[in-house]
Amino acid sequence: MNTRKITLLGPEGTNLTLLTIFLMLNFVSWLTLFTLSDGLTFDTQNTVFRQMTFSIIAIIIFFGITYVSLEQINKYSYIFFYIVSMLLILLFATDPKEGVRRWFDLGLVDFQPSEYIKIALVLFISKSFTEKYNKIYVGTISFLAIGLVFFQPDLGTTTLLIAITLCMFFVSDIKTRHLLTLALIGGVGFFGLLEIGLINNYQLNRITSFFDSVDFAQSQSRLAISTGGLTGQFFEVDKVNLIFIPVQSTDFIFSAYAYQFGFLGVVFLSALWAFFFYRVGRIILSTQSDFEKFLLAGFSASLIFQIFINISTVIGIIPVTGMPFPLLSLGGSSIVATAVIFGIINRIFIENNVVI
Amino acid sequence: MFFQQKFRILSFLIVISFIGLLINIYNLQILDRENSIISVNQQTLDIVYLPSPRGEIYDVNNIKLASSSLQPHLFLNLRKINDNNQDTYEQYLRYNFPNLETKFIKELFEKNELLVKVINIQELDFDDRQSLSSLDAFEIFDFPIRLYEYENIASHVIGYLGEPSLEDAQTFPLSLNVNIVGKSGLERYYENDLSGEPTQIIFKGSEIEKIVEGSSGKDIKTSLNINLQMIATESLLQGMDLANDKFESREEIRKGAVVVINIQTNEVVSMVSLPDYDPNNFMEGISKRKFNELNIAGAFNNYPIQGQYPPGSVFKVVAYWLAEGENIYPEGLSSRNGRIDCKGSLSFGFNDGSKQVYNDWKEDGHGRVNLGSSIKESCNVYFWDIALKIWREYEGTSAESILQEYARNLGFGETTNIDLPYEASGVVPDRNLFEEWTVSQPERVRPEGWLGGDLMNLIIGQGAITATPIQVANAYRSLISGKLSSPRINVEQKSENEKLLNVSEDFINFLLQDLNSVTNEGGTAHASFSVLGSEVEDVGGKTGTAQNSGDKNNTSWFVGIDSISNPKYVIATVVEEGGSGSAIAAPVTRRVIQSLRGLELTPVKFGEITE
Repeated sequence: MNTRKITLLGPEGTNLTLLTIFLMLNFVSWLTLFTLSDGLTFDTQNTVFRQMTFSIIAIIIFFGITYVSLEQINKYSYIFFYIVSMLLILLFATDPKEGVRRWFDLGLVDFQPSEYIKIALVLFISKSFTEKYNKIYVGTISFLAIGLVFFQPDLGTTTLLIAITLCMFFVSDIKTRHLLTLALIGGVGFFGLLEIGLINNYQLNRITSFFDSVDFAQSQSRLAISTGGLTGQFFEVDKVNLIFIPVQSTDFIFSAYAYQFGFLGVVFLSALWAFFFYRVGRIILSTQSDFEKFLLAGFSASLIFQIFINISTVIGIIPVTGMPFPLLSLGGSSIVATAVIFGIINRIFIENNVVI
Repeated sequence: MFFQQKFRILSFLIVISFIGLLINIYNLQILDRENSIISVNQQTLDIVYLPSPRGEIYDVNNIKLASSSLQPHLFLNLRKINDNNQDTYEQYLRYNFPNLETKFIKELFEKNELLVKVINIQELDFDDRQSLSSLDAFEIFDFPIRLYEYENIASHVIGYLGEPSLEDAQTFPLSLNVNIVGKSGLERYYENDLSGEPTQIIFKGSEIEKIVEGSSGKDIKTSLNINLQMIATESLLQGMDLANDKFESREEIRKGAVVVINIQTNEVVSMVSLPDYDPNNFMEGISKRKFNELNIAGAFNNYPIQGQYPPGSVFKVVAYWLAEGENIYPEGLSSRNGRIDCKGSLSFGFNDGSKQVYNDWKEDGHGRVNLGSSIKESCNVYFWDIALKIWREYEGTSAESILQEYARNLGFGETTNIDLPYEASGVVPDRNLFEEWTVSQPERVRPEGWLGGDLMNLIIGQGAITATPIQVANAYRSLISGKLSSPRINVEQKSENEKLLNVSEDFINFLLQDLNSVTNEGGTAHASFSVLGSEVEDVGGKTGTAQNSGDKNNTSWFVGIDSISNPKYVIATVVEEGGSGSAIAAPVTRRVIQSLRGLELTPVKFGEITE
C-alpha cells in the first residue's frame, strides 16, 4: 500500500479533480494577494511570497497524507483528538496577546491549535458514531472541546465547531426532536453562563458591538465588493480606486477578490467549490463505510461554514468574527489545516477507486 | 448510522442558503454598483500616522541606554477648526497651558496638517483630561517619548532622532509618515528594526473613523558596557585636559576617541567620541544656533569610525607581521633576532641617484635593535631598512606593494562594516592611487608619483596613509586572534565575512611579548604605565605619534592590550593634536586598562614624550 509510485501529478492514485481544484484555489489566492501587494519579492515580509511558501508546504502535506490509510486514520482518531484538546488546555498557561490566548509563539510562525480542533472534532465524532457510542456521551465530550475554544476566546471558531457538530448529529440516527431539544438546552445554558459572569466583557462586546453601529471594515468591504461590478476592476484600464479595507489580505480577502474579478469571478470561485462539494456528496451517497460518510460530511460542513461565515461577514450580514476564507486567506495555519482535510478526502477517493 | 435522507435535506438547505448569498452579492455588484462608485469617489479617507514606541537599546548588563514610554498628548483636529471656533480654542489653550508660547499656539492653527500635536498631558489628572476631550476638536493619543538616561555618554553609538531630511526620506521612506527618523548611530543603522509599525488614524472627512493600532519596534541588546564607557569618557577628557596644559596648540584640544573591543567576539565594549552631545536635546527640536555650535565643534562626528588619522608608529605592526611572514628583514639580517645599529638617522641613495637622509625621532639613536626592540622603543630606522629592502628588491613589480597588501589584509583602506552608519574607510596609498591623484587631486602628490620615500613614510604610518581608530583596534585584534571580521555592537547581529589570517601561534606569542615590552622598563610607554606596579608585567601596547601637515600638532595614538597572559580586550585611543602618543594617549588607555583589570583607578598623568 505504501509503495505508491510518485508521478508528475503527485503520488499514484491522487484524484485529479481534487488536485486541480486545490491548485486553482491556491493560485487564486496568490493572484489576489499579488493585486494587493507592490509585487512579488523574495523576502519573508512579502505577502505573495509568504503565501507561495505556505502553499508549497500545503501541497507536500496534501500528497503526504495520501500515504496514510483510512484504517490508520480511524485508529489514531481519538489520540489525535485528545492531543489537540491537551494543546488547547495548555494554551491557557500562555500569556494572552491582545486579550486572547490563541497561539503558541514558535518564533518564525505562530501555531494555532484551534485550526486543528476543526479536524480532530470531525475525526472524533465520526469514529464514536461508527463505534455506536452513546450520543449523549459524544455530545458532552464535543461540547467540552468546543468550550476550550470558546474561552480563548475565539467566537468565530466556536460558532463553526457548533455548526459542524450539529450537522454531524443531524445526519446521524439521532432523532431530530432530540437534537432540537439539545440546541434549546445549549441556548439556555449559554445565557445561564452569561448570567453568572463566566463569559467576559470582550466576548459580549464582540456580540453586541455589531448591533450598535455598522462596522467600518464591513461598510468599506461592501463598497469594494460593489465596485467590482460584473467583470471586476482587474482588467479595467480606468480603475475605481481600491478603497481602504482593514485586514484585506486575511479575513477580508474575499472583498479584494470580488473587487478585482467582479461577479463573474465570484461565480467562478463558487463553481470551483460547488463542484468540489458535489464530488464529495456523490461519494458520501455511494460509499459503504459509515466512518467515511461522517468524515466527508464533517469536513464538508467545516469548509462550507467557514466560507459561509466569511462571505456573510464581508458583505456585512453577520458580525465580524475573524474567520479566514479556506485556501484564499493569507496564513499558514489555515492553509495547512485545509490541506490536511483535502488530503484525507483524497485518501477516501483513492480507497473508493475514484481517480478523476 | 448515517442517514442519507437527512443528508439530502441538509445539502438542499445549504444550497438554498448559498444561492441566497449569491443573490446578495449580485445585488451588491450589479444593482448597487453605480451608487457605490459614487460613494467611493466621494469618500476621502486620510490616514494620519502616529509613531509607535521605538525598540529600546540595552547595554551588555541589560541596563537601558535608550528607553521608550507612551505618554498621553493633546492633539488638535484641524479639520474641526473654523473661523468661528478658532479663537475659542486659542484662548482655551492659552488659558490652560500658560507654558505654551502665544506664537507656538498661533502657528498650530496654520499648519497644513490634519492632526497637530499640542502638548504632553501626562501631568494632567483624569478630570482635566476628560474636560479636554469633551471639546470637539481636541483628541488625546498616546505618543512615544524617547529617553536617553545616560545623556552624553555613548551618544555617538546610540545616536539621536530627528525629522527626516530629503536624503533620509529616500533611505527610509516610511519615516516620512511619522516624521521621525534615526539620524545617527544605532538609531539610524537599525532604524527599520527600531521604528516598529506606526498607528494609523483613519479620517473620513473631519471624523476619526478607525484607529489601527501599530506595534512597537524591536529591542536591541548591545555589547556596550556603560560603566566602562563612562570611565573611558572620563579618562579621555582627563587626557585632553593634560594635553591642553602641556602643549601649545592653535585651538583647544578636544577631539578624540577610545575604542575597546573584545578579542574573542569582536564585540565593541566601549566606543567614546569627543566632543559629544546629549541626544535628549533633539527630541523637541534643537535651535539652529545650538546645532551649529555642536556642528562646528565637531560633535556630530563619530571619531572612532569617522576620524581618519595617519596612524604613525601603531602601524608598525603591519611591517612586523610582514617581516615574519615574508622573511624580509633589514639588509644582512635573516631573523627577528638579528640586530642593526641605529645611529638616529639613515642616509642612502636611491636608483635615481638621489641621496636621502632620514632622521629618527630619537636624535642619538636607539643603538643595536632587533625586530622586538624596535617595537619596544619605536625605532624608525629598523623599519626604514625593511622598506628599503622591499623597494630595492621589488620596485616596479607587482610585489612592490606587498606592505599595502599586508595592511589591507588587516582591514586598512576599507570600512570594517561595523553596525554603525557613515563609517570612513581610510586610505592605503600605493602607486595606482598616486596616479589617480595626479589627475584628481594633484595638490596631494608630487609630479614624480610614487617613490621609495613614500614607502618609507608608509611603513612608519606617515604620509598619505590614514586609518580610523576602529580599523586600528580591529587590525590588532585580528593579529592576536588570527581572524579578521567586522566589529559588532548589536549582540544578536552575527559578525559576517570572517577571514582567517596567516598567523602562527609562535608569531602571536612574539607579538604579545614585544607589545608587553613597550609598557615595561625601557619601553616608550613605561612612564605612563609604571603606576600599575607589578601588574605592568601583564599588559602591553604600542605608542604612536603621527605628524600632521601644516601647523597642526601631532596625533597622539595608543593601542593597548589588557592582558598578555590572557588577552581579552584591545583598546585604541586617539587624541587629535594630542602631541605625543606615549605622553597622552598611553596614560588614557592605562586608566581604561585599570578598569578592565579591576584595579583602582588613578588619574591620567603625563607620560614620556616619544613617538
